Amino acid sequence: MKVLALIYGAEGRWDSFTEEQRNEVYEQYRAFGRQAGDKISDGAELAGTRSATTVRVRDGETTVTDGPFAETKEALGGFYLLECKDLDEAAELAAQIPGAATGAIELRAAAQ
Amino acid sequence: MKYLLLLNNDRRDWDAWRELSTEEAQAAREEELPKWNELWPWLEQQGIHADGLELGDPAKARVIQVRDGETIVSDGPFAETKEQLGGYFVAECKDLDQAIEFAQRVPVAKKGSVEIRPLVTQ
Repeated sequence: MKVLALIYGAEGRWDSFTEEQRNEVYEQYRAFGRQAGDKISDGAELAGTRSATTVRVRDGETTVTDGPFAETKEALGGFYLLECKDLDEAAELAAQIPGAATGAIELRAAAQ
Repeated sequence: MKYLLLLNNDRRDWDAWRELSTEEAQAAREEELPKWNELWPWLEQQGIHADGLELGDPAKARVIQVRDGETIVSDGPFAETKEQLGGYFVAECKDLDQAIEFAQRVPVAKKGSVEIRPLVTQ
C-alpha cells in the first residue's frame, strides 16, 4: 500500500542552523534513503512556509493568500511516499526518518 | 520549478463522508468525477506533468515521534485544523502564476483550499 509520510518540524530550528548543521541533517536523510531503499517511491524537501501560497475559490472568485493554509507551531517541511505492506511497516520505517526525533511524522494511507 | 499542491478538504466534509454508506460514497464520487475530468485536459494542454495521490480518512492517520530513543505512536492527524489534507499533486510548473492557475482549477479549491509549496531542488 502507498503511505504518505508528512514530516513536520519547527522551522525556526532549521533557520537557525549553520550550513554544517544542515549538511549533517542532509547526511542523516541520505542514510535513511539508503536504508529504506525501494520502500521510498517519492519524496522531497519543501521550501519554507514563507514561500507558501494558499488558493481558494468561492462563488467563482479566486482568493490567493501568502502563507500556509493553517499556522501551526510545527510546519510541513517535507514528505516521503512509502510503499509498505501495511501501516505498521510504514510506522517502523517512519520512526527511522530523522525528523521523527525532532518533530513528528504523520502517516496517511492512500484512498482505497 | 517543482511545486507540491496540498489539497485540503473542509473537516465538515470529511465528517459528512464518514456517515455515507458504500453506495452513497460511490455516488458522491461519481458526481465529483466530471469536475476532475475538466482538469486533466487543461494540464495536458499546458504541458504540465502532475503526479498525485488521493488520501484516505485523516481520522485513520498515525503520528510517529521518537524521543530519547523511544517511539511514540499516536492516532489522528498531527494538527487538528479546520481543513484536512485529502490528497496532493507534485507538478513541474513554469512559475508560481501557473501553479496558482493549476490550483484554482482543482475542484477542492471550491470547498477547501489548495496550498502551494515550492520544492527544494538540490
